[in-house]
Amino acid sequence: MRVKHLLSGACAAAMLAGAAYAERGADGQLNIIYWQAPSTMNPYLSGGTKEVEAASMVVEPLASYDENGNIVPRLVDELPTVDNGGVSADLKSIIWVLKEGILWSDGSPLTAADAVFTWEYCTHPEGGCAQSSYFDGVTSVEAVDDRTIKINFADPKPYPYTALVGAESPIIQKAQFQDCMGAKAPECTDQNFGPIGTGPFVVTEFKANDVISLEANSNYRDANKPAFGSVLFKGGGDAAAAARSVLETSEFDYAWNLQIEPEVLTQMEAQGKGKVVVSFQTSVERLHLNQTNPDPSLGDMRAVYAEGENAHPFLTDPAVGKAMSMAIDRDILVEAGYGKTGQVTCNVLPAPEIYASTANDACKTQDIEGAKAVLDAAGWVPGSDGVREKDGVRLSVLYQTSTNSVRQGTQALVKQMWAEIGIEAELRNIDASVFFGGDPSSPDTFQKFYADVEMYTNNFSGADPEAYMANWRCSEIPTPDTQWQGSNIQRFCNPAYDALVDEMSQTADLNERGRLAKEMNDMLMESYSIIPLVHRGGTSAHANSLGGVKMTDWDSELWNIADWHRIK
Amino acid sequence: MLNYTIRRLMFAIPTLFVISFIIFAILDLSPGDPTGNLPLTIPPDVREKIRESLGLGQPFPIRYLKWCQQFFVNEPLNLIENWTGWTIGDGERLRVTSWSTRSPVVDLIAERMPQTLWVVGMSYVVAILIAIPIGVISAYRQYSLFDQIGTFVSMVGFSVPTFFTGLILIVVFSVNLGWLPSVYDTTHKVTDWSSFWVQVRQMAMPTMVLALATTAQLSRFMRASMLDNLNQDYVRTARAKGLRERSVVLIHVLRNSMIPVVTVIALGVPAIFGGAIITEQIFKVNGLGALLIIGIQGADIPLVQTLTFLFAVLIVFFNLIADLLYGILDPRIRYD
Amino acid sequence: MLDEAPKILVSVRGLKMHFAIHKGLLRRQVGTVKAVDDVSFDIYEGETLGLVGESGCGKSTAGRSILRLYDPTDGVVELEGQDIVPVTGERLRDLRPAMQMIFQDPQACLNPRMTVGSIIAEPLDEHLKLSRTERRNRVNELMDAVGLNRDFANRYPHEFSGGQRQRIGIARALALNPKFIVCDEPIAALDVSIQAQVVNLLEDLQRKFGLTYLFISHDLSMVRHLATRVAVMYLGKIVELAPRDALYSAPMHPYTQALLSAVPDPDPNAAERKERIILEGDVPSPANPPEGCNFCTRCAQVMDICRKIEPEWRDHGNGHYAACHRLGEA
Repeated sequence: MRVKHLLSGACAAAMLAGAAYAERGADGQLNIIYWQAPSTMNPYLSGGTKEVEAASMVVEPLASYDENGNIVPRLVDELPTVDNGGVSADLKSIIWVLKEGILWSDGSPLTAADAVFTWEYCTHPEGGCAQSSYFDGVTSVEAVDDRTIKINFADPKPYPYTALVGAESPIIQKAQFQDCMGAKAPECTDQNFGPIGTGPFVVTEFKANDVISLEANSNYRDANKPAFGSVLFKGGGDAAAAARSVLETSEFDYAWNLQIEPEVLTQMEAQGKGKVVVSFQTSVERLHLNQTNPDPSLGDMRAVYAEGENAHPFLTDPAVGKAMSMAIDRDILVEAGYGKTGQVTCNVLPAPEIYASTANDACKTQDIEGAKAVLDAAGWVPGSDGVREKDGVRLSVLYQTSTNSVRQGTQALVKQMWAEIGIEAELRNIDASVFFGGDPSSPDTFQKFYADVEMYTNNFSGADPEAYMANWRCSEIPTPDTQWQGSNIQRFCNPAYDALVDEMSQTADLNERGRLAKEMNDMLMESYSIIPLVHRGGTSAHANSLGGVKMTDWDSELWNIADWHRIK
Repeated sequence: MLNYTIRRLMFAIPTLFVISFIIFAILDLSPGDPTGNLPLTIPPDVREKIRESLGLGQPFPIRYLKWCQQFFVNEPLNLIENWTGWTIGDGERLRVTSWSTRSPVVDLIAERMPQTLWVVGMSYVVAILIAIPIGVISAYRQYSLFDQIGTFVSMVGFSVPTFFTGLILIVVFSVNLGWLPSVYDTTHKVTDWSSFWVQVRQMAMPTMVLALATTAQLSRFMRASMLDNLNQDYVRTARAKGLRERSVVLIHVLRNSMIPVVTVIALGVPAIFGGAIITEQIFKVNGLGALLIIGIQGADIPLVQTLTFLFAVLIVFFNLIADLLYGILDPRIRYD
Repeated sequence: MLDEAPKILVSVRGLKMHFAIHKGLLRRQVGTVKAVDDVSFDIYEGETLGLVGESGCGKSTAGRSILRLYDPTDGVVELEGQDIVPVTGERLRDLRPAMQMIFQDPQACLNPRMTVGSIIAEPLDEHLKLSRTERRNRVNELMDAVGLNRDFANRYPHEFSGGQRQRIGIARALALNPKFIVCDEPIAALDVSIQAQVVNLLEDLQRKFGLTYLFISHDLSMVRHLATRVAVMYLGKIVELAPRDALYSAPMHPYTQALLSAVPDPDPNAAERKERIILEGDVPSPANPPEGCNFCTRCAQVMDICRKIEPEWRDHGNGHYAACHRLGEA
């Protein structure tokens, strides 16, 4: 323990020495543009990404995720684990020890009481806290002493790094927010717009949905950071305009979330004034193959899972799914629709590295002949019109997705590829607000899945896939009984898979968890009920003169803004 | 005139109440979920709690009455307190609070008023200053080259949407020439000449884009009104009196032609406060128009309700102003 | 003929007022309207010259051209010996006080946004330098002269009746002590009962201030009452000009005869005796007048020559002029 302390101290000293040439505030003003403007600086009152990221310059969690999805300590010296005793052996509590001498921007010391307060604040029943899921399973947070925080869980929590970890659940100051509990939370406008934090910057002026002015926190723990003396955080406009203001007019240093046509972005970048940076987290554009029968003639039983009855006439045959997957040229899909912001993937769980399987990489190259052979072997033979059939069942699918130009482009390409192997596809697109709206009375939601194939993107927050992989348990299948709520969209059900999920919830060892996650991923892939297409990344751009950017999609993109500096 | 004004104002009160109710009802009926814009990673039960904390659990009439109380009683009292420094009652009053920012809507509006008035208001002033001479000269020299060019420019101003002219200006002046900023800095404060110059530069493009559209409209209107009056007998009378041509046009014709134009200008004023949704978006001015559109997208009902209602108040008020102006300018009209 | 020839105040020679017609996309000139085409006459000081003719024959245009409210295409208009056609700008403005106009529509010719007082005072401000009191006194004087209550000076035109408004128009015309006034159908828009009042007022003022009138009207009986001499216009040209009595008792031109025969006679017996000449058809378009005599298309006594050659303007003695081929024969 002591040795480790010394070591980390030495590391910090080395970093200090490296950055010693820079003085706090020496690099002047940093201009950031988020085309969606933050509406508040309190991430607990708004779950939106823009608010969380803006707030991450001011308020900090105990630990963050770096650009590779690794968890890194922030307000603590060391990450608690079972090995170092920070996590109890029964996995029901975790102890965080705060760094010494951390001050709030008002000069008062950060204590464990602030962490306790944060938990109370977000779990207050009338507060409407948007991040309360981060405190799920937490029975209490205790201040053991001024610097020691103990979080107790109701059940064993093999991955205990949820509460107070990541930009979504930072610690807020008790002194400032103690009168803002519960129903009073929205009335504390001054507090919500100008939270006191331990981060590198302090809000000087907050204009909701418009602009935030910040200046360097004079009480920040590293005397030489941040390099920028002030930040202008502007919101508004659209993604293309934000990209232009960094890559073409150089008015801004950093622009966030540039979801625009890949060729437009490439053209702008070609001007040589800035760089586009991409970070891949866990977003995967995928096809779900319906395992239940969506035939309209079934009436109430349409697309309803019934313990293996009511199965889809042909998509439950893995050979069909396999052929469909083999026939797709994912490189073309990436090139046409995503450019730099996408990469080919064969896994529904593509990251972090320790969870990413390599068993399915064969799908990365298109294999039309192979696909045909698979279908031939399974008895699917071309009919008179070229569409394959078996026992009077034709391989003809209804393929739906949300309305979005990239998705419609992908649909058209995939339809063409499937036609080559004798599978017919009828395309359909539904307005995103309806498709993702979740209205149980609408027939067009992605949960109802009144189609054979559907395509969209999903991901999970943080870096632990346990909850995400649990999405495909049998009990998660949306049915009329659950008001069509549920995340097992393709109605995959395998008791062996459920067993793996249960095992993972008991396993604390990281490597073991990685093995289980890969196994689950492979099981899903081999069932061919999900066909992953593109691993999608977050895209931002920064000026050439801005150094230190470590773009991450795992946490706030501004997670290391204290290290950003001007390249001279 | 005074009686007329008072009578009109009294009629306005029930009208505005009905308007406020209709707005509230429409917003309530329209689909939209204040938690709809949150990431998919936030679970449904948390969303439900957020909705409850916003007061969406209560029945419609209660929510309407609450809004009425907040807007018609609490907000004015709060204003009075701020102006006078008195404390009325216990000072603990619930104000109309926006759902997305959790801050008082009236404060948000007050915060955005300056940039909207600067940019949109200035564009209106510029448009008036350009449109009136163009209209006068076009009418005076009807079918001349000047008139033809004026007609052409007006057609362009009418038919080319602001998002297009705005983009063209940005590409030319910001990207290619690098003369003007493409992003409006709302935190900029004018303290001296150089900062004033910065303000002028950042206002130039949005103001011009908006002014083009308004100029097109006003100059056509001015021209038509001038043409109406130029052919009137009293103009010939004025010439027969031996007045200078300048006096004939500027005193006799222009003043009479201004009557309808002034009315149109007055009726256009509420639109200034409404901001310019598209232009504000393009240049990131983030005024009232941008506030409204964000409110609509985020289903921020208290914000949209309050803003829309304030626009209704302004429209009713400026209709009255326009009518009164007409009465003042045109002696033939009497309100008694 | 009197020993002392009366002094000529206004002399018009060969006055032409043509308006161009533009048509089409590029607004090319496609023709001209010859509203006034080669008109010549004199107006003697202190007399009233009546100018009569059907609507659209160019009477008003002639009146306005003489006052230089238009820029005449060609011709000479001498006011007290000075040709005012080439005069423009400031110098023309300096001439304005001497010649004024009274308009047909008393409502439209008054600026609705100005009070009566300022309407009357405006020419004073423009041409004279008067103090406030002087100006007020002058306005009051003028209002008295035309029979308007002085207290009405602060009212707006729309508050007055038609007759009163015409009085305002007259007061305004008189403000600068003009010598010559063109009265452009000043009574046509008024009620019959008021017409007489206004005509009497005009007569009184003429006597009082020694005014010279060009009285444009289509009302032959009113012209007979007022005018010293009468000119008859048809399609941009004067066809006959004669002292009043001569014209009414012995009209020479077939058009004048036709016009006079249309005037209702108060004596029913006389009316029965009279043989009415009914004019057939409409006045031809001034943009496309007939060849030869302008009246040939409607003339009851038309001859072949009328369709080819324009008749000459000739003196037929005692100041009686006419342009007709038939008169040429005699």
